[in-house]
Amino acid sequence: MLKTVLLIFVTLAVAIGGGAGSVWYALEASRGVGSVTIGQWVTFPDFGTPQADPYSRARFAREGGLSLGQAEGIAFTTNRDTAGALLRADCRYQLTGAVPPSRFWTVYATNAAGRLLPPVGRLQPALQSRELVRLGDGPATVEIGPQPVPGNWLPISGSGPIRLVLTVFDTPISGDAGVIDIRLPQVVRRGCDD
Amino acid sequence: MTRFLHALLTGLVGAGIVHIAILFLLPVFAEKDAWARLAETGEPYHVVRLDHANPSLGMLTSPDPFFEAVACRFDLSDGALHLVGEGRIPFWSISVYDRRGLNIYSLNDRTATGDALDFVVVTPAQMLTMRKEVPAEFTQSIFVEADLTEGIVVMRAFVPDESWREVVSTYLNGISCTSR
Repeated sequence: MLKTVLLIFVTLAVAIGGGAGSVWYALEASRGVGSVTIGQWVTFPDFGTPQADPYSRARFAREGGLSLGQAEGIAFTTNRDTAGALLRADCRYQLTGAVPPSRFWTVYATNAAGRLLPPVGRLQPALQSRELVRLGDGPATVEIGPQPVPGNWLPISGSGPIRLVLTVFDTPISGDAGVIDIRLPQVVRRGCDD
Repeated sequence: MTRFLHALLTGLVGAGIVHIAILFLLPVFAEKDAWARLAETGEPYHVVRLDHANPSLGMLTSPDPFFEAVACRFDLSDGALHLVGEGRIPFWSISVYDRRGLNIYSLNDRTATGDALDFVVVTPAQMLTMRKEVPAEFTQSIFVEADLTEGIVVMRAFVPDESWREVVSTYLNGISCTSR
């Protein structure tokens, strides 16, 4: 008798615990179902649209946001540098490489929870493509770090893991399947203040 | 031992069912969706600033400091939605969301005729009536046919630098969201 009760308990525990746990895991994983990975950048092209898969829908329902439409733009997020190490607020990084064709783009730094990092002095931890300084013909590079540097400086402060969000506005790549064959800038670590 | 394995196997099958059930029920039972958050801040047709400083809006505001946005809830059973804005700003875009907050249509200022913002959302049935005779105030408007009743319209505006903040702010505060 007791054995049967115990077995029923095991069955229920596995069913409810496993079911809820696996959904939680699928939704919390940063590279979940419906995501497209380009280098270290991750994007969810169908996120928040009626075409999204059930996992993206569930994730969207929990976050309760309003996603950018196709005609508006597309956002890419990364929390790792090119070597695969987590981005940290006390390190220096360089963002190099071309951004896909667009009217303009913005890049900003957030904490792990997705909130914008505090401003450094009067400067926000964000840059947009129209204010960048370009040297030579190549694409502009952006220096990310706590200390001021000449050129395009994106100031970050504090400690702990951070994320970078690159949003490209009015771009053909936000359309169907346009996101697969594109190249995005690389985030290269330059050093850390240990 | 076989009974234990049997219990474990039944549990795993159950886990699969629970997994699918939770996955499909999450969107149904989401309490803090965009609609609910906006309902806390204002009545339908009230233009709400998606202010970075307002924590009750949660994920509705993008953390991007270069963007300001407004939102307005509407109900097409009251009539067509008319969104009008006066002035010039560097970039704006509009998205129409359904009752669940899913993005069903978007456009940006390149789509607009001239610089003025004059945007109408109608149901297919209302579109048929409009085609017979376009009301005088809609002759310059961009029409969007959407098969929905309740929805949210969001307008986002680019703030290239701090000197634009005031201009963009005035523009967004001057947007009218009305039902015709």
